Amino acid sequence: MHIAEGYLPPLHAVAWGAASAPFVVHGVRALTREVKAHPESTLLLGASGAFTFVLSALKIPSVTGSCSHPTGTGLGAILFRPPIMAVLGTITLLFQALLLAHGGLTTLGANAFSMAVVGPWAGYASYCLLRRFGAPLMACVFVGAFAADLSTYCMTSVQLALAFPDPDSGFLGALGKFGGIFAVTQVPLAVSEGLLTVLVMRLLTQSSRGELTRLGVLVPRRADAGSGTENNTNKGAVTG
Amino acid sequence: MLPIDAAAHSSRWRRRHPLDKACLGLGLTILAISLPAWPGAPLVGIAALVVLLGPAGVPPRRLWRAWRVPLGFCVTGALPLLFAVGGADGFVSFAPSGPVIAGQLLARTSAASLGVLLFAFTTPLSDVLPRLVRAKVPPAVVDVALVTYRMSFLLLDSMAQVRQAQAARLGHTTRGAAWRSLAGLGATTFVRAFDRAARLQDGLAGRGYDGTLRVLVPQTTMSRRFLAATAALLVALTVLTLVLERFLP
Repeated sequence: MHIAEGYLPPLHAVAWGAASAPFVVHGVRALTREVKAHPESTLLLGASGAFTFVLSALKIPSVTGSCSHPTGTGLGAILFRPPIMAVLGTITLLFQALLLAHGGLTTLGANAFSMAVVGPWAGYASYCLLRRFGAPLMACVFVGAFAADLSTYCMTSVQLALAFPDPDSGFLGALGKFGGIFAVTQVPLAVSEGLLTVLVMRLLTQSSRGELTRLGVLVPRRADAGSGTENNTNKGAVTG
Repeated sequence: MLPIDAAAHSSRWRRRHPLDKACLGLGLTILAISLPAWPGAPLVGIAALVVLLGPAGVPPRRLWRAWRVPLGFCVTGALPLLFAVGGADGFVSFAPSGPVIAGQLLARTSAASLGVLLFAFTTPLSDVLPRLVRAKVPPAVVDVALVTYRMSFLLLDSMAQVRQAQAARLGHTTRGAAWRSLAGLGATTFVRAFDRAARLQDGLAGRGYDGTLRVLVPQTTMSRRFLAATAALLVALTVLTLVLERFLP
């Protein structure tokens, strides 16, 4: 899903950097406000960034017998909200470029736009929409993670098609070509990531209720809200 | 610690100022994507390779292990360019201009990757991040990036241990068990990340934490000779490319 270093022409690299900049700047402002109001959030946000980074080290079993890794953008957006994810995602992409040689610095803007902006926003929008209609939490989480993963790949296809239009059919042909190649592997992977995210969230609602409540994913139960405590418990239905 | 970062910490150029190395590594990367792919990309690639294996002293095996990752992406990314869709020759047909475009792309991405690897293999992120404040990056973002950087290694270690424990309990023997183990691994990592953040917060609060993470940054000065040599190399590569472009087919 990462566009490799040097893959995009200079003009495209600059343009995608400019396109992702407002979202990242918006995220930076949100993050700065949060840290000023709650200095202890620095550590929590750093932990969230590290969690996002190591998520990409998880290997998902694929239907073809091979494996791939999750984007983590859906889970990240549900837990930390898209503006914060724009910053954490960009930091993660920078680390991946310099520590793992995944992605690149000239393609950081394009990768940030697809993985730190479009993916989180699409995933979070789907999640919120379903929540508004009263769908069960786990269904919302699945759709959120699925949409985030798939929209990331769709955006990457658009970026590649714009950079390398098909000699016969132009942009649309190239979009079909790149999208078709991605679809074979990425639709099953998006389903896999959705399922994995549901399993992770199920475990988290059992073991880390306090953190999920603090992050706003779950609504505090009356007993907790009344006493002002956020205890981690292993029982109780999800009310969020 | 990840292999590239471990190599950067023990690099021969570890004590050079990060901006010196950024000018060289990222300068080569920018040249790789800006100059005509033929003969610019091969020239830039060779120059980066010579600097990496020579003055920078990066072990060839380590370099190959890191370089083959972007190379793999480049090859798979170049393959679709060999085909055209929706033309007169059928729905999918061989694109006559495909091999040239794919070859140029492969050369460009390979050379550009080497430029970034030159920077990554000689500059630990812990040297770069604190200096970003001087580049007007908000301190809050730099602090979050620093915590992310330091905590990533701890979480990766923790994940490796959990994965080993799951394997020892036959947690990867069936597809169902593998999925359960994977979900447990993700959730455990989340819990440990937040637990570690809470404990760090407690520890820092006991030391009078005021919202700023103060870290010692090794004092280094920028080298005029290094920067002049970098500029000379970049200019020479540009001129050589433009001259050779006229004579080569």
